[in-house]
Amino acid sequence: MPVSAPSIPLRLDSLSFAYGAEPVLAEVSLRVEPGEFVALVGPNGSGKSTLLRLAVGLLSPAAGDVQLFGGAPADFRDRGRLGYVPQRPALGEGITATVEDIAASGRLTRGAWFRRGRRNHPAVERALAEVGLSEMRGARLSELSGGQQQRAFIARALAGEPDLLVLDEPVAGVDAESQRQFRSSLTALVRDRGGSVLLVSHELGAVADDLDRVVVLKQTVRFDGTPDELRSQGVSLGVHAADLPLWLEQVK
Amino acid sequence: MPYPFDREYMQLALAAAMVVGAVAPMIGVFLVQRRQSLMGDGIGHLAFAGVAAGVLTGVWPVWTALVVAVVGAVLVEWLRSAGRASGDLALALFFYGGIAAGVVMVGLADSLDANLMSYLFGSILTVTPAEVSLVVALGAVVAGSVLVGAPALFAMAVDEEWSRVAGLPVAWLNSLLAALVAVTIVASMRVVGILLVAALMVLPVASAQQIGRSQRSIIAWAVAIGAFSAMVGLGSARIWGLAPGGTIVLVAVAVFAVVAATGIGAGARRGAFIPTRSHNH
Repeated sequence: MPVSAPSIPLRLDSLSFAYGAEPVLAEVSLRVEPGEFVALVGPNGSGKSTLLRLAVGLLSPAAGDVQLFGGAPADFRDRGRLGYVPQRPALGEGITATVEDIAASGRLTRGAWFRRGRRNHPAVERALAEVGLSEMRGARLSELSGGQQQRAFIARALAGEPDLLVLDEPVAGVDAESQRQFRSSLTALVRDRGGSVLLVSHELGAVADDLDRVVVLKQTVRFDGTPDELRSQGVSLGVHAADLPLWLEQVK
Repeated sequence: MPYPFDREYMQLALAAAMVVGAVAPMIGVFLVQRRQSLMGDGIGHLAFAGVAAGVLTGVWPVWTALVVAVVGAVLVEWLRSAGRASGDLALALFFYGGIAAGVVMVGLADSLDANLMSYLFGSILTVTPAEVSLVVALGAVVAGSVLVGAPALFAMAVDEEWSRVAGLPVAWLNSLLAALVAVTIVASMRVVGILLVAALMVLPVASAQQIGRSQRSIIAWAVAIGAFSAMVGLGSARIWGLAPGGTIVLVAVAVFAVVAATGIGAGARRGAFIPTRSHNH
């Protein structure tokens, strides 16, 4: 088995990006180290989702450099090391699939194209258990609440056994139970398996105590430090913290 | 074989119909999931242009239809994915372009005859052993590709962006799907006719989605319902002297009506699985 190189999971250097003439990101640098849990926050339109899309190779930067595990995203072949949870996809009426179908498709990142063995793979079982959906594996996606659907998509990412998990607004508007399961699945990845997490979210309450670093983005990086350092600026990350969004709007 | 499949021509027809009945919904599952149910119709019109080209040039129309439909389908997919035309506009361009080119070529060949009609409306009772062999070969190509590619095609139907990040060859798989749709249509032309091929891709899937739960079970049900419709439709056509292509599709419509009306599907939706926690929508 190949030994995973101890390269930095994600490194962004002086990244700039614009949609047409509209600059979205300017000179953004960010690192996610092995075993690190990093949250990326910022007001609407601050470039968070764009940054994530650049990080996973869906977009190419106008200037600057993206490195996934030490290489450019375009040349990144070891896709199993990267787990991606996009903003909840708008599922068409025609999508008829069970929770297990969705989770099992996560094995595709590991090159498991054939059906045989994909379903009952230990990693799929573990991923379903970590998001609390083992009992609901046979449920159709359309039967689930928004939060449960999102957990199925997190299970898909976890089933690939990633070393770096990148999530775009995974808990926007989901129920408390799903938030709790969400937290335990991320901490299991970081604490038990030494994985790294880059989380874009408006709602850090669920994971406030688990974060190693918080990065505040508003076209450029306005803050990059520990949650305690952010709290020392009068910002709390608790469940009902109304001051984080307020503070974000005030960041110049 | 017993009546109505006692004659040799009926046995040839049955073989072709069963293969098409099973294979068309197999590929149709992915079209329905991607909300491209009408793609079969659009590519069918390209196949018509291909048939007309064959009639005009004196080449066996199945070959020209295969070339024109596959090339056209891949081009439609390229237009769609390159964002040069939205999905339905890309289809409309080729849809009307194909029909117009077909009409012009038929005019040039001065041959709006029974031969051409047999491709438009199907003529399964006159299929030759060679045509059955071709249908079986094309069906095997489609079924084999779906069996191997189903997990990736399914992942793409759910979320194309995620699939790209996961390292799946999305552009290549999209082209493959389009080409397989084209191959299926050409294989089905003589069975149900170009005008009804798309129905056989979509209707059994619509029924299967009411019954099955998992991705795998939906494909299995769609194949079973498609093959059943083909057999019952063909047999009924012989017994009552009906047009086989239309009868096969009407049986598929009837199956859907029965499934929807009797609530066979409702059991699959609610009965087998009752979530223990309340939903927060």
